[in-house]
Parts: sequence; C-alpha cells; structure tokens
Amino acid sequence: MKKTIYILVFSLSFTLFAQEQLPNTTLKTLSGSNTTLGEIAAENDLIVVSLWATWCVPCKNELDAVADVYDDWVSETGVIYYAVSIDDPRTAKRVRPMINGKGWEFEILLDENSDLKRAFGVSTVPYTIIIKSGEIVFKHTGYTPGFEDELYEKIVALKD
Amino acid sequence: MNKQILVALVSLITVAIHSQETEEKSSFNKIIERLNVSFESNSQWYLNDDAIKDFDEEEKLRANSYLRIDYQISDRFSSGFQLESYVPEPLLNYSRLFDKEIGLGTFYLNYSNNKLDITLGHYYVQFGSGLILRAWEDRALGVNNALRGGKIVYDPTNYLRLTALYGKHRKGFDVSDSNVFGFETQFDIANAFQIESLNSLKLGLSYVGKQEEYKSEASNPQTTIEIPELVNSFGAQLDLEYKNIYTNFEYIYKSEDVRLNNVIPNIVSFSEQVLFDGNAITWNIGYSQKGFGIGSTFRRLENMRFFSERSFLNLNNNPTTQLSMNYLPALTKQHDYTLANIYIYQSQPGLVIENYGTPLIKSGEIGESIDVFYNIKKGTLFGGKYGTKLSANWAYWANLTNSYSDPSGTPYFTGDDLTYETELLNFDDKLYSEINAEIRKKWSPKLKSIFTYINLSYNKGFLESKGADDFVNAWIGIAESTYKFKAGKSVRLELQHLSTNDDARNWAGGTIEYFFNSKFGVYLNDSYNYEESKITENTKIHFFNLGGSYTKGSTRVGINYGRQRGGLLCVGGVCRPVSKNAGLTLNLVATF
Repeated sequence: MKKTIYILVFSLSFTLFAQEQLPNTTLKTLSGSNTTLGEIAAENDLIVVSLWATWCVPCKNELDAVADVYDDWVSETGVIYYAVSIDDPRTAKRVRPMINGKGWEFEILLDENSDLKRAFGVSTVPYTIIIKSGEIVFKHTGYTPGFEDELYEKIVALKD
Repeated sequence: MNKQILVALVSLITVAIHSQETEEKSSFNKIIERLNVSFESNSQWYLNDDAIKDFDEEEKLRANSYLRIDYQISDRFSSGFQLESYVPEPLLNYSRLFDKEIGLGTFYLNYSNNKLDITLGHYYVQFGSGLILRAWEDRALGVNNALRGGKIVYDPTNYLRLTALYGKHRKGFDVSDSNVFGFETQFDIANAFQIESLNSLKLGLSYVGKQEEYKSEASNPQTTIEIPELVNSFGAQLDLEYKNIYTNFEYIYKSEDVRLNNVIPNIVSFSEQVLFDGNAITWNIGYSQKGFGIGSTFRRLENMRFFSERSFLNLNNNPTTQLSMNYLPALTKQHDYTLANIYIYQSQPGLVIENYGTPLIKSGEIGESIDVFYNIKKGTLFGGKYGTKLSANWAYWANLTNSYSDPSGTPYFTGDDLTYETELLNFDDKLYSEINAEIRKKWSPKLKSIFTYINLSYNKGFLESKGADDFVNAWIGIAESTYKFKAGKSVRLELQHLSTNDDARNWAGGTIEYFFNSKFGVYLNDSYNYEESKITENTKIHFFNLGGSYTKGSTRVGINYGRQRGGLLCVGGVCRPVSKNAGLTLNLVATF
C-alpha cells in the first residue's frame, strides 16, 4: 500500500504544471547583508537570475558572453542581471576578486549553502531564469555558445 | 519525537492551515499553482571492461532518484518533502546508509514573515563559513546531513539576526543517536552605529554543541578520566570592508574529546586516557577594483573533525563523511579539466595517528591560497580588440609540525596516554603546492580560447600511502577553443597534457564537443596514460567518454558511455564529480 502511494505521487507529479512564485530564501550580498529574490523583484520589474560557480567553465563562458553585451542590454531593455554564486565555503572567497578582475558589472549575490539552488530544484549550473513582475517566466539549464542571443530575444519580448 | 509522529504532525498542520486559509479557492488549479516539483535521476549500468577490473558486484544496474515537492500553503506557511529512491542499490561510491529502495528522505513545515522564520522538520543551515556548523545536501557526492528538529531565525531589527536550533543529524533514512544544539548571532555594527566611513563591519558569534552518550568499544574499558557527553564549539567572526579592501577573520574553538585509536583501520576504538581539543583560524583579505582583484586566504585547522556520532570519525568506514557537523574543504583551486583532477589535494583537518614503528602524528593542516584576476583592456597591445582576461592562483599546504610524548607506547602500538604539541605557525612539513595561470582570449565574435598552465607538487606518500614523504611533481598544459557558427551551432576542441616523471608519468587528453543547436550536443573525451610506469592499472589505458545531452527549458537528459577514472567531469555545459567505473550513464533532471 505504501509503495502504491509513492508511485502515485511520482506519476502524479509529472502531470502537474509549474508554480512560478519566488522562494523567500535568504541570499547574501557581497558585503554580507541579507536579501531575498522577492525583495529584489519588488524593486525591479525585469530581472535575469543566473546561478553560477567560480569552478564552472560553462558558467563563466555564459557570464563572459553576457558581460560583452551587457551595456546594450541595460540601455535597450532596462533588464538587471543577477549572478548568484553557489560557491560553497571552499571557493566562495574567490568570488569577489574574480568578478572585479573580470570586469563583470552584474549584481552579485551569494547562495553559500545552496538554499536557492534547492528551492529551484536545480541540480547543475549554470541555471538561468527570467523574472517579470515578480513571476518566473523562463527557465533554462546549461550554457551553449550563442545562448546569450536566445536569452536576449526573450528579454526584448518581455520588456514593456 | 519519532519520525511517524513528526510526519503526522507536519501533514496535519499543513492540511489545517490549507483549509483555513484558502476557503473557497481550493480548486485543483489553485493547488497546482502553489506547487513546486523537481525530479532528478542518475542511473548507471555498470559493464565489464577488459581494460579495467571486472565489475564484480551483483547489482549492475543502479539508480539514485530524488523527487522534491514544495507547497506554498499560504503567504506565511510552506511545507515540503523529498522522496529518495536507490533501486536496487545506490550508485558506486555512495554511502550504504542510503539503503532503501524508496523512502521519505526529508520533510518540513516552515512559517516565515518579515522578522521570523521557523522551520519544523528537516532543515539545512550554515554558521559563518561552515567551520563550526554546516548541514547541507550534495547529491553528486552523496552527502545529506540535514538536521531534523526545529530552527528559529529572528530579525529583531535590520542589523541583528538571531538563530537558534535543535536537531538530530540525518543518518541515511534514520537519524543520529545524539543531539545537536546551535545558536548564532549576526550583528551589523556599521549599520547599528551608522559608521559611514566603513562600507561594512559585521560581527558573528556562534555556539554549537553535541550531546552524545559515550560508549566504550573496548571489552574491558580502562577509562581513567571522565569522557564528556557534551562537546562544545564556540566561534567568532569579524567582517570588515573599507573602500576597495575587505577582510574576514574567523576563529573556532572545539572542546575536548577522546581521540580515535586507529591501530586496526576498520575497527572503531578510542584512546580513553587523554582528551584533545581543537581549533580553527581562518583569515581572508583582498583588494579589488574594476579590472583587478586579489584575494588571499590563510587557514590553520587543528583536530577539527567533528561528527555527531564519535564512531563516524573512522573514515575507513565513513569515506563520504556522513554525519559531519562542520565543513572543512581543501582551499585549493577547483579545476574542471580531467587531467587537472588527477592529483587533487584533500584537506587534513583531523587528528590521526599512524603506527609504522614510530607514530606519525597528523593533527591538522596549515596553508595559504592567493588568487589574482586581471582584465587587460580592449584596444591595448595585449588586450587586442576584445580584451584579455588573466587569472593566477598560488596555494601551499603543510602538515602541522608536532612533537609528542608516548610514555606507554611500544613499536607499532601507540599508548593510550600519548600527547602531542604543535607549533602555531610552522609550514615546514609540506603536503601540497600549486601555481596556476589562465588566459582567456576572445579573437573574434565567433572564436574564443582558454589557455591554462598548472604546476603542482603533491605529497602522495603522506596523503595517500599514509607514510613517508613521496612527492609527485607535475605540470599540466591545457588549450581549448570554441568556434560559434550560426543558429546555436558550435564546436569546442580541448587539448591537455600532464608531464611528470613520477607516479604514473605522462598523460595526454582531449575533448571534442559539437552542438547542433542550443538544445542538443554530443561530445567525446579521452585521457591516455601513454608511458610505462609502476602504476600499471593506469598504463596505456584510454579513459574515454562518449555522450550527448538534450536540454529543453529546465529539463535535461544526458547519456554517456565510457570508462571513468574519477574526478570532476565537465561536458555538455555542466559539471559533476564521477567515480571510477565503466558503463552507461543516464541523467535526467526536470523541474515543473
């Protein structure tokens, strides 16, 4: 009987649609203050959130590619890009010198114990989402060269 | 409180709040709008392979699967659970504590408003940088040491956060036979006193205690001292940021406890006549401005391994460090190329005494890691049209230097009254050093390259054979280029070489990866140890991987056939650690 219930739950879950509310997980800013995606989304209508790590080459490729065109993205659409590092204490100290050394102008947040990653059900990075008016409207796993163009098309389609 | 009662309680409250808060709106659509579902399954079909030893275990087809469901009951309340299945057995190198075909892994009920966040059930938590307490989940590594109990986070003002918790560690599908208590306060001094000359000044104070009854494993215990039931650790952390300079200091003291007696590796016993305390110091300082960043981290760990059950200190029986109270990672750069993951430093935080004639005392580690990042501007000689990004890292780690006294010891057997002393700052007993540099260059909008150089020195004798010093000195060169065609098509080529006259000698490796579009890609990678050496299990064997992945939105399917040497494998746009084996792997990830 117990097994039947589990199997039922498993199969049921596949027929469900998405919930698009933002989790109220605490994230840290680089200077150690607490914030949540909800607070950020309340102040900014259109944001991109990208989960990344200092040890992940595809993540850095994505952020480097976006950094090259970020000025245009901001002036054309007003989008704000939040790069949320999932580096744990092993590598978290590398985040700050890296983002400055690379000259990235994104907003940087830290998710040191993977609370946001878990709340999103993410198992691998990079993981990129677009939030419009406080709701998640687009999700994407992984990075392939050229994905930044696809992402930009979505952003343009969503701007007011 | 046992598990059934807790589950029943969480479910009851969930239903009660749900029916009270949602009244007429509780139609099926409203319910699914509040659900967040994610599913992950990693399965492997282990195959026999002529080049490596046959897979001689009974179960060849195995899978680890996770289904996580979170439900937003109302604005304030949420609840969720995670089902886990390990059919018919967990994947290789995973803890056998996860012994159920299918079971309830974690569950929780949470209440949160602006000032208060209360969790009942399982929760994850980290104090400071995790040196004192970290409960976390890493499915790829097979770690889940969530605490089950209750946690309260309270923000009385915007510059103060108080956290109090109680729980028992998750132990497979059960919980540990001990209790964990924790308290932390985070005080934002610069904000509280309106110190405007500083960007930030924060103080953190923490306490973590573990209460566990001491059970002597000896048949006739010769305990002459009182062994503490409660082991306490205290921590202090200070963060300071001024203009472009930032620094962070953290100190942990762990109170006295018995040490593991490892005369016979797999048998757990303790030396019951002397108690040892532990401590940790970490200091990080950095400077950064646009285009330039430098950061340095010093850390010293002495007898800092801390588990919620003492017997888990024996890592021969607990290689995946289940039930660990704190997080003590190696602070070297984490590389993601295959050949750069052959000689990886593992941190040495615990007190271990090896017996080979005279005792070899390992009481901890000391070392330093420095990172530099620099962006050469566009339009300069070395920057070219698109700029050039440079980074470099230097790391050095040593064993703590010890002197000891062993009044009742005999050759090959240390006495139970052995004591040791360490020096505070002595870096002589080298375990590992590394210097590496990376250049990222964009040649045109379509072509990008990354060049990496690593030079390392790895004390294999100490780190792997538990004996005298025996260094592997190696250097690794890696070049990769990606060319982007139209419509998401791209090709990536990566070449690697590891050069050394020690250990298994030289390796060559490479990867070719092709994306047909942004959703579908294939790859082939290979590492080949092409010289004769004393490490015959690696000589002239291709460790190869052939696979593909398909991604649509947040759903990803990956399939791989190959022979794994072990390490961190990064292909198809994502990274995961892999274990040594041959066979077919299928990964499925989806969120709804």
